[in-house]
Amino acid sequence: MLYQLRKPLAFVMRDFGDAASYKLSFLMQFAGIFLSILTFFFLSRLFGEVVVSSLQPYGGDYFSFVLIGIAFSGYIGVAQHSITGTISSAQEMGTLEALMVTQTGVPTILFSSSLSSFIWTTLRVIVYLVLGVAVFGVNMKGANIPAAILILLLSITSLGGFGIISASFIMAFKKGDPLSWVFSSLSGFLGGIVYPIEVFPGWLQICSYLLPITHSLKGMRLALLQGYSTTALLPYILALTFFTAVMLPLSLLLFQKALKKAKMDGSLTQY
Amino acid sequence: MSSIVETFKLTKRFPQIKRYHEILIHPLQKREITALENINIRVKKGEVFGLLGPNGAGKTTLIKTLCTLLLPNEGTALVNGYDILKEEREVRRSIGYVVNDERSFYWRLTGRRNLEFFAILNNLAPNWTNRRIGEVLRLVGLETNEDKRVKDYSTGMKQKLAIARGMLCDPEVLFMDEPTRSLDPVIAKSLRDFIRKNIVEGQGKTVFLSTHNLGEAEDLCDRIAIIDRGKIKACGTLDEMKALLDGKKRYLIELEKPAEGFMEEFKDLFPFKVRESLPGRGIIIEVATDDRWTVSRMIEVIVTHGGRVVGCFPEEKTLQEIFSRVTSSRGSDEGLEGEQG
Repeated sequence: MLYQLRKPLAFVMRDFGDAASYKLSFLMQFAGIFLSILTFFFLSRLFGEVVVSSLQPYGGDYFSFVLIGIAFSGYIGVAQHSITGTISSAQEMGTLEALMVTQTGVPTILFSSSLSSFIWTTLRVIVYLVLGVAVFGVNMKGANIPAAILILLLSITSLGGFGIISASFIMAFKKGDPLSWVFSSLSGFLGGIVYPIEVFPGWLQICSYLLPITHSLKGMRLALLQGYSTTALLPYILALTFFTAVMLPLSLLLFQKALKKAKMDGSLTQY
Repeated sequence: MSSIVETFKLTKRFPQIKRYHEILIHPLQKREITALENINIRVKKGEVFGLLGPNGAGKTTLIKTLCTLLLPNEGTALVNGYDILKEEREVRRSIGYVVNDERSFYWRLTGRRNLEFFAILNNLAPNWTNRRIGEVLRLVGLETNEDKRVKDYSTGMKQKLAIARGMLCDPEVLFMDEPTRSLDPVIAKSLRDFIRKNIVEGQGKTVFLSTHNLGEAEDLCDRIAIIDRGKIKACGTLDEMKALLDGKKRYLIELEKPAEGFMEEFKDLFPFKVRESLPGRGIIIEVATDDRWTVSRMIEVIVTHGGRVVGCFPEEKTLQEIFSRVTSSRGSDEGLEGEQG
């Protein structure tokens, strides 16, 4: 088991070794988290004790709602951009050829390269939640942590599929990844990150359910803030499983085709 | 000796970006440039095979195709007996690719950390990894600098680290793309010696390298293929190529003050070219012949006509001449091919 994990761990060690060598940037990120929480904390004070009906399913408190939103929305960016970023930066740094000529398959390289971004985002999420609970008084006493972890893992795999498709665009066409732009913009707008999707008209709510992030955030909030049981969370878990089952194989297939095109065009290391 | 690399009509064309008017006039027509055309070469086990050619000749394309980083349009190749199209993984297991790009390392990590990372990606067994890294670092002479960050390495050290990385898996063939390109002449010479003594003679490896440096090819390679505009123009040992260039041997004869009119008369007997006039002293003539007795007869005639031969020596053809000859016929398909491989 440990032997199987050697490759992903090697990538993680490489990335953390590299990141830790930029000490100032490393520390500045934590200051950024604190300021971002502070912004939403004061924004939430605008509402005061006013009861907002669309926030009721999540406990009624806007700050708790938005904390989960901004903490976990980081995964959208990571899923969408980490693989693309890995490919682009390896092309720019000149390490892509050295990686591609090793005895490691492309899917392993892709998965392992983005792993540290996911770990880093998870650390950020933990910092967000710890600060939210310890400093700003968010209540998560009845949270269903195992269900939240399951939803998180399914969110990563389903969002990762979109990320691999974006990376395929970059690999094949170098620039002009339309999917990434559309997906990120729609997820930001319709996913319910800083406002509940219940504020949308009915037809727009239906559209929002076509995005994995909507199921991910809704399930996560209900698990952490309301302590829903795994059975009650099943609709969100099944939706995310469906996205994973469709998007992951499709994205890997597209990436193999993009890689073949790049090898054919001789553009593997061009950016 | 058996072949470790063999190509079969390997052809590679790259698509070119079409201009707007081309898209309008011929929307379906492809615009391509041929980088490799019907390449047939054979590399023997345990030799240093040099791919010599000017910039843009197709050297890097050929190496990358053999390393499975590019897919050919037509033809295929066998590397260590494995097909580059059907057995990519086995090919990659058999080769070490010394990437000619300083940036192919993680500069903020140490040399050793870089090698550890690539060792894991190359499936080196955990209990073997540290020992092997120590061995390759010693092999390239970087053992005292292994804990320095790569950003603090000199260009020569980075090149040696690239060789160490290429040697990690103890590959059968080492592909090197212009390994001395950015090195100063002294370091380049020591690297060439290192490749010959340590990698080929010491480790018994096959080295397939590309270069545009004639001296390097002459100094290091057992056999050379001259590539130009995607075609192999000549292939063989230096002696084989000299023989292909011109069957005749050339001799330079230095004469002291030949009698007036004698040279005109002499030219009718033996065709020659005046290589150099030495004012007040004489003349140096160049004679090309495949008959070893011609020179002797020429000297005899010169002497019997009162001339004096100061010196006579054969002139070896150089790789420079062969290279100039095959690459100067640009636009022509003619080369010195004989048998490729």
